[in-house]
Amino acid sequence: MLELTVMKNLMIAKPPTRAILPKTSLPQAPPRNTVGEIPLEFYKDEEHIGYDRAGRKLKKQARKDQLDSFLDRSDDPKDWHKVYDEYNDEYVELTKEEMGMISRIRQGKLPHAEVDPYQPYVDWFDWDGKGHPLSNAPEPKRRFIPSKWEAKKVVKLVRALRKGWIKLDKPKEKPRFYLMWGDDLKVNEKTANGLAYIPAPKAKLPGHEESYNPPVEYIPSEEEINSYQLMYEEDRPKFIPKKFDSLRHVPAYAEFIKEIFERCLDLYLCPRTRKKRLNIDPDSLLPKLPKPKDLQPYPTTCFLEYKGHTGAVSSISADPTGEWLLSGSRDGTVRVWEVQTGRCKKVWDVGGSVFCVAWNPNPALPVVAIAVSNDVVLLDPEVGDEEVQLNIAKLLAVQPSTSEPTENTPLISWKRHDKLRGIQLSHQQNVVRVSWHNKGDYFQTQQQSCFGTSTIKAAKSKPFPQASWPPFMFVATKMHVRVYNLAKQELSKKLITGLQEISSMALHSGGDNLILGSKGAKLCWFDMDLSVKPYKTIKNHKEDINAVAFHKSYPLFASCSDDLSTHVFHGMVYSDLMQNPLIVPLKILHGHQKGVSDIKFHPTQPWLFTAGADSVIKLFCN
Amino acid sequence: MVKQVKNAVKAAKRKLHTGRRGNPGNAAKYITRNKALNRLQIKLPEFRRLCILKGIHPREPKKKFEGQNKTYYHVKDINFLLHEPLLEKSREIRAYEKKITKARAKYNTDLAHRLQNNRPSFTLDHLVKERYPSFIDAVRDLEDPLTMIHLFATLPADTTHSVPFERVHSCRRLSLEWQAYVTRTHSLRKIFVSVKGIYYQVEVSGQKITYLTPHVLNQVLPEDVDFRVMLTFAEFYETLLGFVNFKLYHSLGLNYPPVLDPRLEQAAAELYALMKDLAGGTTSAPLLEDASAKEDDAPVSVDEQQSLMEAENKEKRIAESQARLASLQDRLKQIEKEKEKPQDVPVQVKTEAMDVDDVIEDEDLETRTCRRLFQNLTFFLGREVPRESLLFVIRSFGGAVSWDGDGAPFPENDEVITHQIVDRPTQGHKFLSRHYVQPQWVYDCANNRILLPTEPYLLGRIPPPHLSPFVDNEAEGHVPEYADTIKRLRLAANQQLAPLPGSESGIDEGELLVAAAARRREDLEAEKERELAAMEKSYAEDLRRELAGKSFSGEEEALADVPESEVLPPPKEDDPKDMAKMMLSRNKRNLYQAMEMSNTKKKEEVKLIKERKRKADEKERKKKTRTM
Repeated sequence: MLELTVMKNLMIAKPPTRAILPKTSLPQAPPRNTVGEIPLEFYKDEEHIGYDRAGRKLKKQARKDQLDSFLDRSDDPKDWHKVYDEYNDEYVELTKEEMGMISRIRQGKLPHAEVDPYQPYVDWFDWDGKGHPLSNAPEPKRRFIPSKWEAKKVVKLVRALRKGWIKLDKPKEKPRFYLMWGDDLKVNEKTANGLAYIPAPKAKLPGHEESYNPPVEYIPSEEEINSYQLMYEEDRPKFIPKKFDSLRHVPAYAEFIKEIFERCLDLYLCPRTRKKRLNIDPDSLLPKLPKPKDLQPYPTTCFLEYKGHTGAVSSISADPTGEWLLSGSRDGTVRVWEVQTGRCKKVWDVGGSVFCVAWNPNPALPVVAIAVSNDVVLLDPEVGDEEVQLNIAKLLAVQPSTSEPTENTPLISWKRHDKLRGIQLSHQQNVVRVSWHNKGDYFQTQQQSCFGTSTIKAAKSKPFPQASWPPFMFVATKMHVRVYNLAKQELSKKLITGLQEISSMALHSGGDNLILGSKGAKLCWFDMDLSVKPYKTIKNHKEDINAVAFHKSYPLFASCSDDLSTHVFHGMVYSDLMQNPLIVPLKILHGHQKGVSDIKFHPTQPWLFTAGADSVIKLFCN
Repeated sequence: MVKQVKNAVKAAKRKLHTGRRGNPGNAAKYITRNKALNRLQIKLPEFRRLCILKGIHPREPKKKFEGQNKTYYHVKDINFLLHEPLLEKSREIRAYEKKITKARAKYNTDLAHRLQNNRPSFTLDHLVKERYPSFIDAVRDLEDPLTMIHLFATLPADTTHSVPFERVHSCRRLSLEWQAYVTRTHSLRKIFVSVKGIYYQVEVSGQKITYLTPHVLNQVLPEDVDFRVMLTFAEFYETLLGFVNFKLYHSLGLNYPPVLDPRLEQAAAELYALMKDLAGGTTSAPLLEDASAKEDDAPVSVDEQQSLMEAENKEKRIAESQARLASLQDRLKQIEKEKEKPQDVPVQVKTEAMDVDDVIEDEDLETRTCRRLFQNLTFFLGREVPRESLLFVIRSFGGAVSWDGDGAPFPENDEVITHQIVDRPTQGHKFLSRHYVQPQWVYDCANNRILLPTEPYLLGRIPPPHLSPFVDNEAEGHVPEYADTIKRLRLAANQQLAPLPGSESGIDEGELLVAAAARRREDLEAEKERELAAMEKSYAEDLRRELAGKSFSGEEEALADVPESEVLPPPKEDDPKDMAKMMLSRNKRNLYQAMEMSNTKKKEEVKLIKERKRKADEKERKKKTRTM
């Protein structure tokens, strides 16, 4: 097809050439058509193609259909070098020479073989003897001076070269790595900006379970794997060990890149702080305490039980000589026991739930004070010799009177208690606590507060006569302890306990140390010389502390609680002011079936009385 | 007077915790990230990149003054970034890129081309020096770099994730250089094949470095990973490892970078090529061109063959001397009827062994044992085993290796081969002179520094469990059974004063295994006997009681139990710990409780593992009895 078009073009170009140059080498038949060099499409719609020499119309040949033309082509072996001449409307057979021309043109040669393109040049101008060039114009100036633009270009290039913008030869490649460090083995703890260098924590080393072939015991069973689904997503193990029979079965770890990426994120996004991780035996945290054996004597074993009460024993008190024990119970009775034998010497039925009992600390005047509902009753326990009995009888025979007759509603009214042969002091509200002054000359009572808060009063003072040691009164509110100077009638100190609710208080015989028990099961030791804050807070019990007590002479103190236990401590206070008190837990005493409500130390021996809500009083001896 | 003293004492006793005035507080020391960005005048991605390169991380102020959920940086760190030349450089590069686009837009191709070629470049050398002022610092922090470089060495260069192939190539090169160094110095200590990959522990300059390499399989790049971050890390780590490698090679007196044999490189045996280069051409094993070239071209180096010959001779000599000594001993026994162990036997052997081995100076004991573990053994790796890993391990522990593939130093049918590492179900042709073992044998031997019996690792068997060498079993609380076996084997090997690696391994191993099994059996029997004795005793006791008219021991105990629990709670013995616990301060008490909790958790885990073990054992026993 391509050939045909080429030929066609050739043919179209031909007719005029033929007309102009009739002396071609090929024998040419003159064209039939005489229309001349006009666009053939003028005759497109006509039935003729033009006119012959005689002026007759030349009819268009009938168009063959494709089948006929194909048949003609296949029949005629010379068909391939026939060309359709549109001008004359006929098929022209190309001669051999014409075919040769075409092939030469296609090869890019000249069409006529006889033409020599490289003939020697024949100058048409005859130079000899002429004497003048072709043009006589003078040479322009620009031919003699250097180009301005070139100079500018050169300047630019030179500048670029000088400034290093253009580099003619490639710079030599320096070796990328060199010896950066010397031989010093100094480890640097700081970064270049002076901050401490915190190295990133190292990744955890893999255990047996990460092996491709772990021991059987490290592979979780089906049930265990299923149970992981029930766990929270954070708790779920990230890696489940799996066993492969052979190394070739191990697949690529799909999470590898992700894990390393997460590590990268950790490295540059996580704040780093140095945290002390104590990889120690937890027991090494425990303080080194002296052995309890070396701090003997202290109560260790239950020696006696005082049984007889039918209700919970609420309060106990020991006689200053240590022979008698007084106990008050919720069953409405107050009993006096002989300490040595456990015999109940006396029973008073006071007719109400007893809150508190207290034995007068003055050995010359054995009187007991009992707090029963709204009253405080002073009674004679009937111990001691005749002279003492007489004194008591005199004391208790005081005329009943009202303390403040001027006012309409007296705070306290005195009465004689005929039934028990004692003095009855009637209060307006329930009396929850009664306590004696050290010398036994005064006692104080505490009523249940109108506001319903449990306030506790306890008093303790140095002997009155010495002026330099003013008498103090300690009042525990819910959270603080207030110390009042009774001589000056002012608040001398306020102890900040940090406890939820104070339940009990005891004062060391030295007067500078104080212990508090609280409802939050905490025990506080105050060294009042040191601070108004606790010197030591001990969380020893599991439930509320009911009572605390100091021993008068031995360095012992104890606390009892609703968790059925009583803790005995060694609490040594040194006379040297620079030395802090030594506190050592000694013994946990068990034995009560219900909560321990009160404890008291024996005044002279290292013995401890405990009163339980199970109506039993116990004596623990060393 | 007394009061004054007391007041003075009070003042002395009190601790004053008043903050000094004029000290800068948290607000002056720390800065939030957004403020830092403002101060540095850069965008977040650039900031991240700088932080990664510079090794700057957020810090935790004591008081987070601008809110809990903010990231805080130290002001000094940010100022440090502010003076970083890289910051200025990156700005410069950005300006330069603009110039190129401008030139292109104006069809100034000449200029654009020139600008393109003269792009400003930067290096991270100064950052390496700044972050790691001394070499030991760099070595200490090498774990992450090595893991990352080994990962990138196996990554496909991917245009969608913009992982450039240059980076992959250079990472591969660096990782191989590192491995070659480790092999040369025999500093590989532990290997652990885990599901995640293979862990290697290497000891360099007294620092133990543990890194993880992926299994050599095609890595699929996940979509939820920001590769820009990874690439920034890789960029820095690449520079760091390059300098570390330089220093290490320098310390050996070698040129860096080492030259690779192009033929070996083409055969994908770059590691071997590097090792060869490092070995300094002393053992110049030429490539295996074809089978015919083997005879005249001597694939095994002369040195190696010599050493093998020597080893053989040595064995013969040792056997002779031992035989002679044994006969002497017998005669002595007959004459004197006294047991007199000749002390000089092992010593003699040992000195001999010492003479044969080349002694390298200032080499510590561990390196020496590592170097000698596979000495005189020759390995051949099958097609299906991880070649590079095994080549690395075996060469590090002193063995000779060849493999199935191009560039192998000697062919499969070479007779010097003692062990063939295979990991296929069956092997067609077997040479009788070699052990056909699974790859795990090599790793286990290397970890335990003894030649384990090959029997459990033979072709087609399920090998014994592969244990982590990083675990202290005793501290963990549970010793796997196989660890116990290995311990016994090690003890036995140590008792043999002169271990002869490779030579009589078959016999030794067999004996050892038999001995170990016998010992275990004995143990079990002894235990059974003890149990039986106890049972008998209790039975006799019961009989006696019955005769005396009392009830059986069991019943009596049951009877005794009931009232005691009902009547009284048993008197608790005072624990001194309980007492001491009371005296702890609140902080310490919390710490103590946390510690106790974690301890109990650990114990429970161990308990679970032991329980599983017990169940598995029971199952096995049942299976055994059923088959019997």
